[in-house]
Amino acid sequence: MTTARPFLTILAQRALQAFIVAFIVGIVSFAMMQALPGDAAYRIAAGRYGYDMMDAAAAEAVRVELGLDRHWIVQLFDWLGALAQFDLGRSLVYGSPVIDEISVQLGYSLLLAAGAVIASLLIAVPVGIAAGLKPGGLVDRVTLAISIFVRAIPAFALGVVLVLAFAVQLKLFPVAGFRGPEHLVLPSLTLGLGLAAVSNRVVRDAVADAMAAEWQLFARTKGLSARLSVLRHVLRNASLPVVTYVGVQMAYLIEGVVIVETVFAWPGIGHALVHAIFARDVAMVQGTALTLGLIYVALNLVIDLACRGIDPRTRSA
Amino acid sequence: MTDQTQTGAMPRPRRAWPRIRPARGLGFTLLALLALCAVAGPDLVGQDPAKQSLLDARQPPSAANLLGTDHLGRDMAARLLSGAQLSLSLAVLSVLTAGLPGTLLGIAAAWYGGWTDRLLTSFADAVLALPGLLLVLMLAAISPGSWWALYAGISLTLWVEYFRYTRQRARIVIAEPAVEASRLLGLTPALIIRRHLVPEIGPGLLTIAAFGAATAVTAVAALGFVSVGVRPPTAEWGVMMTELLPYWREAPFLILQPVACLVITVLALHLSVGGMRRP
Amino acid sequence: MIRRLCAAIFFSALFLPLPSLAEEKSRVTIASPWEVSSFDTAVSGFAIQALEIMENLVDADETGALQPGLATSWSASDDGLTWTFQLRDGVTFHDGTAFDPAAAAQSLTRSWQKPGVLAKAPVTGVSAKGDAVVFTLERPFAALPAILAHATTIIQAPSALDADGQPSALIGTGPFKVERFTPPQSIDLLRNDSYWGAAPKIPAASYLAAGRAETRALLAESGDADMVFTLDPSGFARLENVDSVKTLAVPIPRVVTLKVNAAHRFFSDPRARQALSLAINRDGIATAITRFPEAAAGQLFPPALSGWHSPSLPRLGYDVEAAKGLLAELGWTAGDDGILVKDGERFSILLRTFPDRPELPLMAAALQDQWREIGVELQVSVASYSEIPAGHQDGTLHVALYARNYALTPDPIGTVLQDFGPGGGDWGAMGWENTEVADALTAISATGDQALRSKNIAKVARILHDELPVIPIVWYQHTVAVASGLQGVVIDPLQRSYGLSKVSWSE
Repeated sequence: MTTARPFLTILAQRALQAFIVAFIVGIVSFAMMQALPGDAAYRIAAGRYGYDMMDAAAAEAVRVELGLDRHWIVQLFDWLGALAQFDLGRSLVYGSPVIDEISVQLGYSLLLAAGAVIASLLIAVPVGIAAGLKPGGLVDRVTLAISIFVRAIPAFALGVVLVLAFAVQLKLFPVAGFRGPEHLVLPSLTLGLGLAAVSNRVVRDAVADAMAAEWQLFARTKGLSARLSVLRHVLRNASLPVVTYVGVQMAYLIEGVVIVETVFAWPGIGHALVHAIFARDVAMVQGTALTLGLIYVALNLVIDLACRGIDPRTRSA
Repeated sequence: MTDQTQTGAMPRPRRAWPRIRPARGLGFTLLALLALCAVAGPDLVGQDPAKQSLLDARQPPSAANLLGTDHLGRDMAARLLSGAQLSLSLAVLSVLTAGLPGTLLGIAAAWYGGWTDRLLTSFADAVLALPGLLLVLMLAAISPGSWWALYAGISLTLWVEYFRYTRQRARIVIAEPAVEASRLLGLTPALIIRRHLVPEIGPGLLTIAAFGAATAVTAVAALGFVSVGVRPPTAEWGVMMTELLPYWREAPFLILQPVACLVITVLALHLSVGGMRRP
Repeated sequence: MIRRLCAAIFFSALFLPLPSLAEEKSRVTIASPWEVSSFDTAVSGFAIQALEIMENLVDADETGALQPGLATSWSASDDGLTWTFQLRDGVTFHDGTAFDPAAAAQSLTRSWQKPGVLAKAPVTGVSAKGDAVVFTLERPFAALPAILAHATTIIQAPSALDADGQPSALIGTGPFKVERFTPPQSIDLLRNDSYWGAAPKIPAASYLAAGRAETRALLAESGDADMVFTLDPSGFARLENVDSVKTLAVPIPRVVTLKVNAAHRFFSDPRARQALSLAINRDGIATAITRFPEAAAGQLFPPALSGWHSPSLPRLGYDVEAAKGLLAELGWTAGDDGILVKDGERFSILLRTFPDRPELPLMAAALQDQWREIGVELQVSVASYSEIPAGHQDGTLHVALYARNYALTPDPIGTVLQDFGPGGGDWGAMGWENTEVADALTAISATGDQALRSKNIAKVARILHDELPVIPIVWYQHTVAVASGLQGVVIDPLQRSYGLSKVSWSE
């Protein structure tokens, strides 16, 4: 937790953390799936065949096919053994390899998350800087009020309003789907607005803090123009908490966009996770959870390195 | 994780308890009003939130139904009040159960340091890396539509924040010469914590609690929207939004009501801690 | 706010130019609530069939009459135990491989071994013989051709299976081939130019699964989707006033029914089930929830199920006092809180239903309120639909609310036999046996004689109406919104096809 660590130590720590996360996520998700009430064979059969075709005979066929009557320890070791060979197994419901399912859905999730972060930065950075340059000023207070308001509006309501305005009335963007880049705009904007509501305050606080800090005064006494000092010092120092915050946002976005995915019919990993849990698709749940956990670790690594790049103090010693 | 601490490395002047300003006064007033509504519940309008009247569905506000009726002809005012009971009690409870252990563990980690610290920190990191959605969904699936599963899931994902904040602050405070002196003087840990730590972390914890409560209220509504949270016919704001969204065109005043309740609650929570700044 | 707006507009501008403005409209986009998750025909057969990617040996028209499909003709042996299906010549799969009897037999054998309608038929073997496919049966079964029209018996190419025998591609013989499949949300289709029949007029089509009804209504309104299926009542009402869209409501043979555990001591007497039925305000539910007042179910089989609906049966009524009277006859008396009590036991029961069809929890809430009027306390559990077959099997189920499609195969006998035959069915009668019904159903399934069938069908319908092993509530309407520029749209009440191969854009 101290300020400076060599590059290799960071890597090693994150690698160890990745391993621990993989292990814990695997065990926890497996244990929880076992603890769920109801007969797994029935749930899986329901997920596979739909309620018109699903009945007790289908459930029994599923039980035999997947060996669900084996002891849970045997099933767990099966999964761990396969995982050691980088095999996530096949989806119990869809029959396709889990890795295929996840890679498709994760790709779309990452795309949406990236779109949302870009949208939020485009909104938050200018707004935050404007507010932070004069803390307590009019801009600061107005943007605070708007931020709180936007933050309180549920994502789906925001989504419906945007769809009405930009898709139905102005016919600028499509309502839902994911055929081309134009489909990305409205869901990204929905998520981005929600994020920007918080992140513009982070930018504002960081800028305000940096403005107030001692070395900033020092820079001014050195005779640099106000504009230059803002550019050189304030932004550089303000970007640290912002980068950290963007990382936290990414983690939240990748898993937390189920609602926006549902409204915009976007195929994402959050959506897949919800379905997998309800259909009792253990292999999919484990695979998805594992992927999300590892992404979290990777993101933190990227943040660490980015902070090192921005602030030389974290590199020294 | 380790990163956030790096920027806060330079010690800041110790903050006093913040003064009440007009915006915060408004926040507290709103909160008090909401709490009052929640305590009184549907009795306040004398209507049964579950009583249907299918042929009087989607009526605009009237003397009998102050805020109109929903798609099944139930009284909107009674349902909103019943929803307030649920959302607010859930928020308060999850904040308490997440805040108390989070804070205590944070102090313990800072006080003892060494292996205790390392163990607790890696545990918190592991919980953070577990997708929060997974945790909530799993608990919700174990007991579909139940109230406690939601509450446990939300509470379990919230405690880490208290832990990390308390630990980081407490480490700085404990390293101060004044605290060291108190320790040498043989003052009890309880006294040291009260005298030195509480003024330092108190306001910050309050802010985190308000943020946590806002998160809890919105999370419950969001889960209701993907039909994971509490189930109909329970009157819960998120469930009501989901149920009323289909009618947003012909009866927009219906869907606006639970949305407005949610907005007011979150607004009140943020105003009462003076904005959106995380400690 | 201005800044925020500017930023939003700036961001939007990044994604210009929009191809949708430039491209001439040719692709037809379908939106529907159902996700397509798998390459497996046993799982995703409905969508694969409805999008005309794969075809059946036997086809059916909108009335349910069987038509030649990949088989040009079929016949049964005199003893009814062997069926021969003569296959069409000169048909190829999308990948160019030949459609031959061996391929058909392989695909059908797979369907037979997977859970599905074919697995329930009395089939003992499937084989290729000459230019035909031959089924052997253990007893006569007249409904076999109808079952071969079902979505789970569509023919996929042998090349669609991977090395493990798992389906890994969507390769069929239909008028559309798959361009891109993104499970579970979308399928892009291209016209199959070497199709054996009349080629489709549109060059390409897309299928988009949009789970939220509001999203689908907005897709229709904005013109992003050209055919939108299954609209919510409010969205449907709204779209009726939108000029660029035509709305259609077609009655379909799907019924919202209430399954009652007749083996349970509360419901073993038919009078108890009749009382529950009398306490249901079907008109109220049909008016307020589904908004098709004429769809209140007067009997189990809807008018859309021609041949099974009996106009002569009296409508199931709504009479709270009569319901109370029947329960009083059975020895129930009102307790302090208004809930009925008998032998110290409260009339408190659990209803199981599921959220996949959004109107079901609403109807459950309505039932909860309506039954409270007659002193019946109803708890509602909204969970996975698999809880219903599971509760049927372990006997713990009280009542369950679901929507049942009685025309899964063009001939409803398969479904009805499964639901009301000996032992009842997971989605039909529970703890209820009636030898008259069982005999009548056996007779219907074994014969092709229309007069004999009609007589037995009328008998089955009457007994189900009096005994109420399942209580019908409302009949379904299939709601569709179609872009007004689209011609040749035919809505199939059996939901076997979206009719893509027949639509075209008007000039």
